[in-house]
Amino acid sequence: MYNNPLILHNLNPLKKKLKNFIFTELIYHEDPASFGEDANLLEVGLDSMGIMRLIMFAEKEFGVTLPDTEIEPDNVQSLNALEKWIKHTSQAQ
Amino acid sequence: MKETADLRFNPADYFTFVLDQEIRNDGMPGGYCGFALELSEQPNLERLQERLDLLVKHFPIASASITRQGKRYAWTPTGRRIELELHKCRQGDHKEQEPRRILLDIFNRQNTSPLTVHWIDDEIGGTLLLNWNHPLMDARGAKILLDFLASDNPEKFKETPPLIEEKLAQWSFWKKFRLLLKAKRHNSIANSVDSCLPTRAEQGPQALRLKVRRYSVEESRRIAALAQEHTGLAGRTLYYLGCFIRAMEQAGPPAAKAGYCIPYAFNLRRQNAPTPLFGNHVGCLFARATRKQAQDRKGLFKHLLTQYQQTIREELDLAYLPLMWLGQWLSPAKYAGLLRKQHSGGELSSLWFSDIGDLSWGEKGFLGVPVTGVSHLCWMPLPPGLALLAGQLDSRLTLSYSYLHPAIDEDWLDTVLKLMDAELLESAEA
Repeated sequence: MYNNPLILHNLNPLKKKLKNFIFTELIYHEDPASFGEDANLLEVGLDSMGIMRLIMFAEKEFGVTLPDTEIEPDNVQSLNALEKWIKHTSQAQ
Repeated sequence: MKETADLRFNPADYFTFVLDQEIRNDGMPGGYCGFALELSEQPNLERLQERLDLLVKHFPIASASITRQGKRYAWTPTGRRIELELHKCRQGDHKEQEPRRILLDIFNRQNTSPLTVHWIDDEIGGTLLLNWNHPLMDARGAKILLDFLASDNPEKFKETPPLIEEKLAQWSFWKKFRLLLKAKRHNSIANSVDSCLPTRAEQGPQALRLKVRRYSVEESRRIAALAQEHTGLAGRTLYYLGCFIRAMEQAGPPAAKAGYCIPYAFNLRRQNAPTPLFGNHVGCLFARATRKQAQDRKGLFKHLLTQYQQTIREELDLAYLPLMWLGQWLSPAKYAGLLRKQHSGGELSSLWFSDIGDLSWGEKGFLGVPVTGVSHLCWMPLPPGLALLAGQLDSRLTLSYSYLHPAIDEDWLDTVLKLMDAELLESAEA
């Protein structure tokens, strides 16, 4: 797991966990520290398999059920989008 | 020369070696795979040969041979050079079919080398073919190898330990044990529905043939949009699988049984990772459906997506890793029997499938030459005698169908391919 403070500094715990999982398990990035909270995950290689694994990780880690019907680019394309989706779903449940 | 010690197979290497042996035992060349790049002009072949020499220097496994060490197998480096093999297309009446003829000649010859590299020179441009034995690397590794051959900075490609063994090392004994039991149960479920097969005949000498279907950018966009609609952002691969199950069902499978089972690999490498290059770093997933489920298009996609989500939720994708680890101590014949034979003794796989994903060599091309097309090939056991390999080059979907002749009826396959077009594009026939 990444515990590099340069990668994770300034992120809230939810985004820290997501970023850690994404760059440890799903996507290779030469400089994850430079990857911003609004940067596009789909453009750096998050593929269909990766999205599914990411969603399953988020559900397990944060205790939410993310509806299949809401798996769309707007909700998974960045760390901020993911955070918003997870928090919104969590509040609704 | 770098480290030249023997390198033991990792659990997934051994898994693919078992299949290689099965294919060889049936009189075919073995578990060879092909990655063919169509280039608009001839690249600098001297530079390509220099890169192949560098490859063997950096990665002695590239020209190693397989040796048995007790119950296990390993790669033993030979230091042999990988000579770029040159082939020239004949000019004549069927000149447009020449590159394909040569490609298949290469692929059908008996082979013991783990990796051969070919330039098939056409009147305009040509085809670069990587032909590799599956225990050596998986398809993602082959793409990384092409990147190595074309890179301005080959030093950045450094080998790293097998990801399967890394993953296994992270887990406690009890976690491995739990996953093992899960995988065993999962296998029993997969084995419970007899799989329809694309062949009636299961014996006799066979040759590998290839059909390639390349979709336009517009068609590929439409297919991607339909995949998004039916299987969501998370399931483009599932869309291809579902469409093929439907196409087979509509054509009428030559060996019609209870349902379909299509095994496919998931890769443990992170997307865009430049390493590891050699070795297999994959686990196994299954897409399964009964014939009744195959008849309802929307229902089938929903079923495949639910099945996939369940698999990830229950960690069944990772469950195969301890199973493969344990399998290393079984003989190839016993391992193949345990993994692939159903409770009835029949074949588990309705076909082989792999989605190589998005490929692009961009404006730089391969060694400075634009890549105009890509196709993939692989040998497979009989049955099933059929493999579908999907890949996207610069947003254009290409489906490559490898099949055994005469086991697969070509008229039947042509019908399936037409139905597959209709299913993918959701046109009138679907």
